[in-house]
Parts: sequence; C-alpha cells; structure tokens
Amino acid sequence: MKKLRLSRRAVLRGAGGIAIALPWLEIMGSGREANAADPAQRFVTVYTPGGSVIDNGAGENRWRPTGTETEFTLSSILAPLEAIKHKLLVVDGLSMYSAVGEQHQAGIIAWLTGTTQNNYAQGPSIDQVIATRISSENAMKSLQMAVRWGTGKSHGLLHPINAANYEDNATFDPIPPRLDPQAMFDDLFGTLDPNNADDAIARIARKKSILDFVDRRYVTLSQQLGSYDRQKLEQHLTKIRELENALDEMVVPTATCHLPEYVDTSDYNPTTGLESADDGTIVDTSTDEAIPKVGKFMIDMLVMALVCDITRVASLQWSDTEAKHTFPWLGLSEHHHFYQHDGNFRPTECEQIAVWYSQQHAYLLQEMDAVDMGGHTLLDESVVFFGSELAQPPTHSKDNMPFLLAGGGGGLRGGRFLRHADLADRSHNNLLVAILNLFGDERTTFGDPAYCTGPLAGLT
Amino acid sequence: MVRVRLGLGALVLGCACYSGAGGQGDGGDDGSEGGSDAGDTGEPICGDPDAVFPGRAPLRRLTRFEYNNTVRDLLGDDTLPANAFPSEEIGNGFGNDADAQSVSSLLAEQYAAVAEDVANRATISTTALSALTPCAGEIVDTTDPATEEACVRTFVEGFAMRAYRRPLEPGEADALVELQQAIRAESTFPVSLAAVIEAVLQSADFLYRVEHGVVDDAGRRRPNGYEMATRLSYFLWGTMPDDELFAAAGSGELVTDEGVLAQASRMLDDERARPVVRHFFDNLLPISGLSQLERDPVRYPTYTAAIGALMRQETQTFLEREIFEGPGTWSAILTAPYSYMNGPLAQYYGITGVEGDEFQKVDLDTTQRLGLLLQAGVVAGTIHSNETNPVVRGSFLVQKMMCNVIPLPTGDVLAEVKPPDPDSGATARERYSQHSSDPACTPCHQLMDPVGLALENYDPVGLWRDTENGVTIDASGSVPGTNTTVDGPVELVTAIAGAPQTHACFARNWSNFAYGRTLDANDDCTLAHIEQAFVDSEYDVRSLLLELTQTDAFLYLPEGEG
Repeated sequence: MKKLRLSRRAVLRGAGGIAIALPWLEIMGSGREANAADPAQRFVTVYTPGGSVIDNGAGENRWRPTGTETEFTLSSILAPLEAIKHKLLVVDGLSMYSAVGEQHQAGIIAWLTGTTQNNYAQGPSIDQVIATRISSENAMKSLQMAVRWGTGKSHGLLHPINAANYEDNATFDPIPPRLDPQAMFDDLFGTLDPNNADDAIARIARKKSILDFVDRRYVTLSQQLGSYDRQKLEQHLTKIRELENALDEMVVPTATCHLPEYVDTSDYNPTTGLESADDGTIVDTSTDEAIPKVGKFMIDMLVMALVCDITRVASLQWSDTEAKHTFPWLGLSEHHHFYQHDGNFRPTECEQIAVWYSQQHAYLLQEMDAVDMGGHTLLDESVVFFGSELAQPPTHSKDNMPFLLAGGGGGLRGGRFLRHADLADRSHNNLLVAILNLFGDERTTFGDPAYCTGPLAGLT
Repeated sequence: MVRVRLGLGALVLGCACYSGAGGQGDGGDDGSEGGSDAGDTGEPICGDPDAVFPGRAPLRRLTRFEYNNTVRDLLGDDTLPANAFPSEEIGNGFGNDADAQSVSSLLAEQYAAVAEDVANRATISTTALSALTPCAGEIVDTTDPATEEACVRTFVEGFAMRAYRRPLEPGEADALVELQQAIRAESTFPVSLAAVIEAVLQSADFLYRVEHGVVDDAGRRRPNGYEMATRLSYFLWGTMPDDELFAAAGSGELVTDEGVLAQASRMLDDERARPVVRHFFDNLLPISGLSQLERDPVRYPTYTAAIGALMRQETQTFLEREIFEGPGTWSAILTAPYSYMNGPLAQYYGITGVEGDEFQKVDLDTTQRLGLLLQAGVVAGTIHSNETNPVVRGSFLVQKMMCNVIPLPTGDVLAEVKPPDPDSGATARERYSQHSSDPACTPCHQLMDPVGLALENYDPVGLWRDTENGVTIDASGSVPGTNTTVDGPVELVTAIAGAPQTHACFARNWSNFAYGRTLDANDDCTLAHIEQAFVDSEYDVRSLLLELTQTDAFLYLPEGEG
C-alpha cells in the first residue's frame, strides 16, 4: 500500500509528474466578484453511460421534471439534486442529430463534438476548444479522468466506444482519460520527500535541462523527415512544450487549495480488462465494489484541481459506453449494459443506477458550491455539463437527451427547467455552441454545421 | 511479366445498409501522404523485377508492449513501466498502427514520469551503476573530474547507441555529456547520469523508429542496416536488436534479402519470438479479458475468474506448441482434434483423466470441439453477458477471421435497431428471428447470424449444451461467401478452415501487425505476394512470418521527401 508522506512544506505539483516544494504562501485571492457579464471561468463535463429512463415502458418519463420553467418538481431520478436545484438548469427535449454511426460510439463522439462518426470524431470536443481559450497557460490544459473505463470489447485500446474528448488540433485525436486514482493523486498533488524539499529549485532546473534537450532533439529530427512524419513529431513536441510550460506554472497552497483527503484504493484495479498483455492471473473481485469510493475520490481531486487552478477544464467519465461492470453496492449483480438492453430493458434497475449517478453528481456540484473563490463559489464561475451518449437505453434513441447544466459561469441562470421539445431547432449542437458562448467564444455554429442552426436560447 | 490478380484480401460484403464506414479501424489510408505513388496511378504490376511497391512507411512509435521489452533489454528494467501509459488507439486492432499514434498530454507526461522512474532505478546503487558501465560504479566523491567525465562519455556512447539503435552522429554524444555536466554542477553523479537516461528515453530517436534509408545500386530506397535490424527485432521479438543483430547491421549483412532472411530465421528459432506471437493472438482473439469475465455464479456455478484465466492459457499454450513445436499450419490449428489443458480446466470441460496443474495434450471429443475457434475461451470471450449473442460471435468469425467487413447500421436502419427481448424465445434462434424475417435487418445479419447461431451449443461460459431453456438447440448455419451450409460448430469451423478467404485473412492480419499499419490499396502487391506464399507453404505459420520479411513492404522504403 502506498504510504503517503506529507509535510507542512509539501505542496502540489504541476503536470509532468514533477514534484516541487516551495515555502508555504499566503492566499492571494483575487477577491473578484462573479459578474453575469463575465465569461465562465471553468468547464466540467460529466459523462454517464446509457442515458436515463425517458420511457419506463409504461409511457412514463422518469427523468423529466414537472412544472414550469421556474416552478418545477424534480423527477425521482433527479431528486437527489434537490439541494442544489437552484443552480441547476435542466435542459430537456434536445436531440443528438449529429450522432451518426454506431449507436453507442456515435453517441459518445457527438456528445461533445457535434460531429458524425468516421472511426472517431471529425472535430474537436467543446471542452478542448474551451481549454484552448481559457486553460492554455495552466499547468494542465485539461484533465480527463474516468472510473471503471474500458470495460468490454475495447480490451486495452482507446476505442471510439470509450473516447469522449477530442483534441483541438488538425486531427482531432481522441484523448485517453486518467484511470488510476493513485497515479492521479501523485501527478496532481504529489509531495516530495521532505528530505529533498530544499532542492526544489535544482529539481526544476534539472527537469528544464532535460526537457530542453528533448525539445531540441525533436526540432532537429523533425526537420529531417517528410511532411507526414514531421507533423507527428511536431504534435509530440507541442505536448513536450506543455510540460515545459507546466514547470513555470507551479501551484501553491492557499486557504482553499490544499491536498484532497487521501483515499486508499488498493482494492480497485483501474486497468481491469484493459491490460491485454497481462498473463491472466489477475482475479478481480473487488474493483466493482470499490467504484463509489473511487468515484468520490476522483471528484475530490477534480474539484481541487480546479480550485488550485492546475487546470480550468476537467472531464469525468463514469465508465465507457459499454458499461460492462456491476453495481454490487446497489445489489445489482449484472452489468449496466445488461439492464439497458442486453438482458432486455430493465427500467427499475436502470432507474436505480440513474438515481445513483444523480447522487454522485449532486456531490460534485455541492463540493464545487462549497468553495469560496472570493465572494462567490467555484460553481458560480463554472459551467458543468452532464450528459450521456443516448437517451433511452432499449432503443438507443437520442431524442429528449437527459442533459443537465449547472453553475453560474458566463451568466448561466440555474434553478430552471427548459423544455425544447416543441422547438424546430432542437439539435444538441445548438446547445454546444451556446455553451461556447458562455465562455466568450462568439461563434454561431459548432460541430457539423448541417446539425446546427445557431446557439440555443435561454441559458442566461 | 505476370499480372497478379489483386484484391482478395478485405472483402466488403454487400448489404443494403453498407455505408462505406469501416467501423472501428482508424483512418490513415490516405495514400497521398508520405509515401509511394504506387497504386495511385492504376493497378501496379506486381512481380516486375525493376519495380518495387513498398507501400507507405510512416514513422512508428514503440507500443507499451515494445517499450516494456525495450527497457528490459536496454537497462534490465523488468517492471513493465509502460503499463502506466494510456491505451493505444484501436487503429489496425493491434495497437501498433502508425497512423493511430497521436500523443496526448497524458502520454507525454507519462513518458517523462516513467523515464524518471526507470532512470532512478538504473542509478539507485553502486551495483546498478556498475551494470550501466563498470567505471560508473567506481566513481566516488574524490574521483577526479577528468576520470569521471571519461566514464560518462563511455557510458553515453554505448548507451545512446543502443537506445537509438544506430551509431551516433557527430556531436550527439557531446550534447548528452553536456547535459550531464550541467546537471552534475548542481547534483550528485548518479543524479546526473540518471538525467542522461531520462533524456534519452524521451527522445524521438528512442520512442520512434526513424528510417532515413539508403538508395541501393538499382536506385531503390531501402532501410539501412541498423534500420533493418530494428525492423526485424521489433517484428519478431517486440524489442530492440540484440548484439548479433547490431553486428549484422554493422557488417552490411542486412542490405540483401538473403541476409535479412538469415537473421529472421535465427530470430524465429529463438525463445524471444514467442511473446510476440502470443501478443499477436491476444489482440486477434477475444481472450485477453477472460480472467475478468463476469458471469452469474448461480447460473454458471463452475465458472470462475480462475477458470477464465486457464481458458486463456489453454489457447496460448495450444498456439505456442502448434506454431513452435507442432505442425504449425493455420489449417491444422483451426481443425486440431486436440488441445492443451491442466487438471482443473479439464474438469471444467468435463474431461476425465487429466491431473495436475501442468498443461498437457488432450484429445477432444470431435463431435463437440475442433481446433482453435471452438476452444472455450474463444467462444466465451465474445460474450459479454449471461446470454449468448450470436451476432457478436458470428461477427468475430466473419470479420476478424475472414476479413469480411460488415458495415455498421446507419441512417433509417439505425433507428430501427433494437436488441431482442430476452424473453421473446427460449433459444437465441427464436430471440433473433427478426433478423432473418425483417427486410431491414436481413441484408447484413444474414452475413453474421448464421455463423453465430451455429455456435449456440456453447453457453456464455464456453461449455457445451444441447438445450437452452429446455428446447433442443438447432445449430444449423452457413458460411457467408462460401455457399456452404453447416450443421453445428464442428462443421462450421471445418468449412471456415477450408475457405481460402480465411487464410488470406490470416495473412492480412499478420501483415497489418508486422508492418504496423492498416494495409491499403498501395499494398496490393505485398498482399498478393504474402497470400500466395502462404498458400504455397500450405499455410505454414512460421513460413508466413519469414515471408513477411521478404516483401517490398519490409525490404524497401517508399520514395521519400526527406
């Protein structure tokens, strides 16, 4: 088991796995008040697999609230979000028309990119576009994390069935999420051996020398190659420069930025089913059982990564679209996909799972809302987008998507229930461009333009 | 001059829903970039002694498997550190597709973190330092700087050459020594040496397989000796060249086809070839997740994760013995009347007389089992729930074993796709009957379901069954593209083993893996060569592996820009 050593001088570290220690600094809060006219400051996406229960087989929508835009009652699935309802914007009635391709794959690809499937996505995901805009100078441009990911036939590979985030570059490469909570803790918040704490400056200098050497070597070599290969090395070099940049973006503790509570997750194997080179000796009985604990730990780290300004854009994936894991803590011994449709549609079990995801989401939002950023909360300056790759499991329908927004960033107004069922322009691409607008990006279309008629009205 | 008929390899089966989208493979078959124009200007004339058609040769990066092996051989680090890297993209299905190797922020970060860890371990003690180079273990505080620098230079020259898999260019060693000196000014000797290792392990020269090539007397561009040694070692061993390959590279032995073949033969006879073959099949067959299959213990009480692991071991052992010690032909592998089991696995199958934990050869009841594809792990590994799914099982055989591309449903058909109600029939055939009656489903599903339905005698944990829910299973089916109807799994795999398409597909899969690409139209000559050679060898797997080193794609490089 990992033995964590902390000292008062221990500090957080930036990207690149580079731990440094610096003297404890006092908070230098901006004291800035949130202002409706300000662009949003942080963006979080949360993915859950298999949609919700839009029709339980008896014609009941178990997800949709009832009531008017401002006077509404949350459904049984959304009920766990009651305490944070005033900062929640329920966006009902949208369709993912751009999800063209394999049913689950096209759904997770289109969710944040608004593009149709051609193996992977054909455009960047909005989180990456936003990261380019607001997070390029941070230690990490963006942070992707996933719980119980790569559960099925993707066996070990980054597959269109499990990839939600796509680079904001020329080739829209799929982005692999971080899976190992222990490595995540070390990489984001690792500490130095107190004995070495005094040579932080030397260590940074050493890292810089090494990366500088590596950087120069990529430049030299890429110049000797043809255009296709050169482009590859240049793309790699871009990432090396992110690491170099991170060395200048050290994170220091403040009153609000501190180490998340450490959680022992030695009973959780983040690569169950993933490591195709394993020799088959892994016998995994406890990983599924540990999911709630791991999920909470990841949320704590995600929130702290934002608080500490390690990054401004984060994504959390609850499993992949296959969702081939069980829910022993709910008494559900089959995997989620089984309840969705492999074992016929089981609305009761699907609802149970959806309720549990709502509980976890409520925890995330409440944690974000508990952080004072100087007169307003972290949630107030953020936009949190909760979604899935489809709406209704047995049909794979992508109408009436169970989308939630939360936060107050960019003037987003919560405490409301928006229904777009009657609108002609209910393509979810319109929501994507409207979210971009909250961040000060003024474009009027996003993703495949064939599925976008302009920003969705009513968010602010 | 012989005009070879081309295009047997990947066959897109026509069905109404065909959209042109291949599904899961990554793109990158854009022949216009970085390579030869062969094939773009019409059908190449294969076999022309004056022309070569190497196809594309994009820059390849080490996979996790290769990185692990390489640091083991370079530094003795057997901790499998690359398992910390994020997953590869799906690409050609083997994780080594050069066109599907983008670098994420996480990967770059992990390259740095892993390099730091590996470098740390390599310099952690006097013993470790001595292993790097003997003089390094003798450096102490009082060593004079000139002696220390000489030692650093000795280390750098040997280490970087092996890490880059080529002789160093002028100035390269100097730059590394300079780096070491700069770090040394601020830290200890071991820390400064670690910095060299850390830098080298992140360099493109280490992580990528750079091929500049040389032009031969006939004006053709070939990998130079070191580049060829690297091609050979990563293809057949999944790691860096050994001393003998380096020597062959330096002596000019690898600029002839015969020299390449001689080394390939030596390497294939070596134990080190076995992990690569295992790695290939772990990616080709649905067996890598067997130890993590989740099954209802009430319905399948004898199945456990430990049994899943044994199933995988059965398939791996069988393939290894067949290929390296047995008849070694793909047709024999597909129709072998025996397998390898230990006591617990045999008991699981209901076979008596097998004792102990050692795997041993076991004769099969050939009315129920025959060859690789009916092994419990292979028929269980495609199933992801407590019910069998003939579509997924059939799709695996049709697409992965026969290279028939079945397009994904799209558009109007997509909206109608709905998995069957598990209570809609006692048997899978009843539950999936809409596929054979509904005109929206039939065009595509007639290409998969009849294959999967012929496997219905195996339950979701790979065991034989005659009935499902009390109803006798009808395991009749057919093999698409062959006009063959079959009754039951044994007839099915016999028919599959007899189909030329199956063997062409196996050759294509090995080619994609060996060349680290998804072969495209520019590779038709290479594929034709390989498929024909495979037929001529009566489907001998070892011959196929050797032949893969004798193609234009392996021996030559496309005309380069750089």
